[in-house]
Amino acid sequence: MASVEERVKEVTARVLKVDTSKIGRGDQFGADLGAESVQSVELVAMFEEEFGIEMNEDEALSVDTVGSAIDYISKVCQEQGVQV
Amino acid sequence: MAQTTQYRSLKNNEVQALTGQGCTSDDWSRVQVAEPFDTARLRNTQFSGDVRIGAVGGSAASTTGLAKPAGIYNAYVADCTIGDNVRIANIGSHLASYDIGDNTCIEDVGTMQTQPGAAFGNGVEIEVLNEGGGREVILFNELSSQIAYLMCVHRYRPKFIEKLTAIARSAASAVKGNRGSVGTDVRISSVKRIVDVNIGDHAVIDSAASLVNGTVLSAEDAPTTVGADVQAEKFIIGEGSQVTGGAIVSKTFVGQGCQIGKQFSAENSAFFANCEGFHGEACSIFAGPYTVTHHKSTLLIAGLFSFYNAGSGTNQSNHMYKLGPLHEGKLERGSKTGSFAYMMWPCRVGPFSVVLGKHKGTFDTSDLPFSFLDATPTGKCSLIPGLNLSTVGTVRDGAKWPTRDRRKGVVKRDRISFDVFSPLTVGRMIRGSAKLAEIHEKTEKTVDSINFNGADIKRVLLRTGQKFYRSGIHMYLLEKVLSRIEQAQGNALSKALASSPDAVYSEDWLDIGGQMMPRKRLDDLCADVESGKIADLNALNAALDKVHAAYADDEWVWVKRAYKQVFDQDVDTMSQEDVGKVAEDLLAVNGKFLRVILGDASKEFGEMTQTGFGHDGQPDDVAVDFEAVRGTYETNKFVKQIEEQIKALEGRVEKFKAQVASA
Repeated sequence: MASVEERVKEVTARVLKVDTSKIGRGDQFGADLGAESVQSVELVAMFEEEFGIEMNEDEALSVDTVGSAIDYISKVCQEQGVQV
Repeated sequence: MAQTTQYRSLKNNEVQALTGQGCTSDDWSRVQVAEPFDTARLRNTQFSGDVRIGAVGGSAASTTGLAKPAGIYNAYVADCTIGDNVRIANIGSHLASYDIGDNTCIEDVGTMQTQPGAAFGNGVEIEVLNEGGGREVILFNELSSQIAYLMCVHRYRPKFIEKLTAIARSAASAVKGNRGSVGTDVRISSVKRIVDVNIGDHAVIDSAASLVNGTVLSAEDAPTTVGADVQAEKFIIGEGSQVTGGAIVSKTFVGQGCQIGKQFSAENSAFFANCEGFHGEACSIFAGPYTVTHHKSTLLIAGLFSFYNAGSGTNQSNHMYKLGPLHEGKLERGSKTGSFAYMMWPCRVGPFSVVLGKHKGTFDTSDLPFSFLDATPTGKCSLIPGLNLSTVGTVRDGAKWPTRDRRKGVVKRDRISFDVFSPLTVGRMIRGSAKLAEIHEKTEKTVDSINFNGADIKRVLLRTGQKFYRSGIHMYLLEKVLSRIEQAQGNALSKALASSPDAVYSEDWLDIGGQMMPRKRLDDLCADVESGKIADLNALNAALDKVHAAYADDEWVWVKRAYKQVFDQDVDTMSQEDVGKVAEDLLAVNGKFLRVILGDASKEFGEMTQTGFGHDGQPDDVAVDFEAVRGTYETNKFVKQIEEQIKALEGRVEKFKAQVASA
């Protein structure tokens, strides 16, 4: 199974229509990857489906970089007993 | 003018003096005056027919506020009754068939005349909502948003419409007459033409171009202004409104507390409480309370709006060169359109939604309130259900409307329910959520998006929409239960949670021109109109007032049923422990909601938002410039309010839990 990082980048690439190889941990979803406000909602929905988790909106929507998304999703997966 | 005014005929020496001052009359015996009378106050005036002149010893304020001597100067006055201390000066053509109240000043007017059988805008039928007709609203002075809405929208109740039309016609015909009226303390100056227009107390008509067949309702506590270069025909303007700045108003009702100006033009349209129309154009629209359009090249056509804000360049199409302008559209309360948003009617947009882009297809999102609607490059509607629930704009709008009610007079004709969360919107969320769940269940994971009544929704967002709605539904129901108990301090829990015996329950609630009510209330009212039980305007208004007064009771019955449906718990049998849980759950869900709002607000201070700031400066100047202009997130007034709200909520819940524990 792919790592959390790979899966996060894969979903991000699909939603924001960017090349996976060009996504780095330090990239901001908005400033660097061009995510508009409404796309962040779609990203959260896609991450939830990809990992089978339920995220807290106020926490999830405050995540602004790819790296922090990877960390946050890993934490949620652990809390919700999801194997990754 | 005073009812008790005693008039007398002119004495011979007075006639002689007046003649010497350039005054003439067909028959001086038909000119009567009141005391005190001073011949020096009448100069260069021709009198015709029966003219009664009140006391002329004092002064009257002109439109600039300058007090000028009362009297009649340089005028042709025919068949008028003039109150005490009225100034009439420089009437180019004539002033005929008017009763003029005390302390009024009429200066530099070309023609001011009432023709036999004048209706003063009453009885005019305007083609609202459907430009092709069929939804005509009859204008009359007491027209409210509710009555107009029912007359316009509920055409599927033919018997009711027949009776309602009769009530409207009766009210309209009551003002028909051969003489117009100008109230007390009215100031009129520099108007070319006023024909068949009634003008209420304390109105200011300043430099209007032409007013024909209309009424300017006005009162001391809600004076109305008609300003420079306004052209109005077949109109009624409500108390406390301002129609100014070269506005062109034709076959139009302007309700109370409205502002129409800056060259706005309106035709076959009705605007109700606190609407604002500047620069743009309205054609056959029903502008419910708080409909606002401020920008040039914005055309609102054949639409129903309320609590609405039109972005610049917003427009709609109501026909495609087939059978004419047949289509109509509805943007339910609280919706907004972004800059250059376009919709091809017919469409229906659910409450508190945002519409962006150019929509070339028909859609109905009424069961998906608080949604975000954008258009794809091909013009298809793409929707995110419930997204607008947690945006900072919705919260700000909900808070601002009640504080911006410009209706200052005693009489407020439109009944307005301000609540953002109500059985109407929460009911739609419950319904919408169920539909989203059903579609989600049936849709394969391989599907990218589904079609919902003409709008595309990405499959993954079906679940997101349910989450948004779940938060909104829970927040509303928990808040209602908690505040009910808080308000009933000292009473037994069962008593606090009991329903009013007069409350009416309907699962479905309606928004009748800004007044929300259970469907049954409206059905009963319509049945009473149809049966003749409600047979006149007073009875109809009383019935609508009664429904409005019952809002809280009806809402509570609805909340209890919805609570049972959502939480599977009977509110009536709640224990103290259950109530404590309500408080904890409210803190969790509402606290989370407010934090999401704060998160949304923080985007307004983000790096992207600062683009363009620090112009001509160095990179470090961007943040400095932004802070100087926009302030900081931490010091922002709205952010502080939300933060205080979170603290207040925490304090409230703690206090409540302590009370429950000690009970």
